[in-house]
Amino acid sequence: MLKKNKRANILTENVVFIILNVVFLTILVVFLFVKVSDGAVFEEKYSKQIALMIDSAQPGMQISLEVKDAVDHAESGWLRNNFHEAFVVEDNLVKVKLSSKGGYSYSFFNDVYPVLEFYPDNEEVVITIPKENE
Amino acid sequence: MNKIQKTNFFSYNFFPKNRRGTDKMLSMYWFVIIFIVAAAIVYMTALFYGKPYDVRELETNLLINKVSDCLVENGYLINEVFVETFKSDFLEICNLNFNVEGSHGWKNDQYYLELSISEFVDQSIFIIGPFSEGNINLRDLCSNELNNNPFCIEKGFYSIDKENKEYFVKIFVSLRKTEKNVR
Repeated sequence: MLKKNKRANILTENVVFIILNVVFLTILVVFLFVKVSDGAVFEEKYSKQIALMIDSAQPGMQISLEVKDAVDHAESGWLRNNFHEAFVVEDNLVKVKLSSKGGYSYSFFNDVYPVLEFYPDNEEVVITIPKENE
Repeated sequence: MNKIQKTNFFSYNFFPKNRRGTDKMLSMYWFVIIFIVAAAIVYMTALFYGKPYDVRELETNLLINKVSDCLVENGYLINEVFVETFKSDFLEICNLNFNVEGSHGWKNDQYYLELSISEFVDQSIFIIGPFSEGNINLRDLCSNELNNNPFCIEKGFYSIDKENKEYFVKIFVSLRKTEKNVR
């Protein structure tokens, strides 16, 4: 009787040990996955990229930028309903917002008034720099 | 013999010695090790993804290129350079806007640009400047450690006017924006 109890005890300890390890590793993997696919990284990336493109652009240029990463990592429900707020230029700031809570802005020094058009279905942003007399 | 053993949580084996086999595996040291490994992974991930993209070098070079393109047209210095109001109208002539976002306590003080145009043969004879735009305090911080200070570049080029007179144009740019590019 005693021996049987002891065996059961060992088995329980093994199971608890394995469960604890699996739970621990799962939490770690989930953390890494959340961190890697965080939209905030892409907000920063695209706002800086678009700002630098505007800085280097000449009047009359039209630039098409693929933003597949941004669409993939955005808060999908929010982006579908608020896509017109995702890529915006205000004064000389490029603002990129991929979720209801996020958002990142970066300034450009080129004194132009660019127009950003975001096409979520094509996963692209079109940057238009108007000609000086427009 | 019923020997009562006192066990300490910090001892090598938390569990009494009469439980063999799984005792070692369930000791707190195993969990200490995996916690250390996990903490290291979390720290490295946070360090990698928490660090912003540093685009200051690109931005500084773009600013110098833009000013160069503005001053020289079809290989000649533009006529506006030789007009008296050039210094005061410089930002407007070159389509520059040094305003920045109001975050991190910035007050449109993240750029500094210095421009001079001198004779090519004797570069101590200045035709224009040196004159500056932006936050002059950024100029003196360039020589220190790069990460926590403005990013600075100085470039110069040879140019001529329409009468083939030779000039040397020198542009110095200092860009801060540290909070958004360095951590």
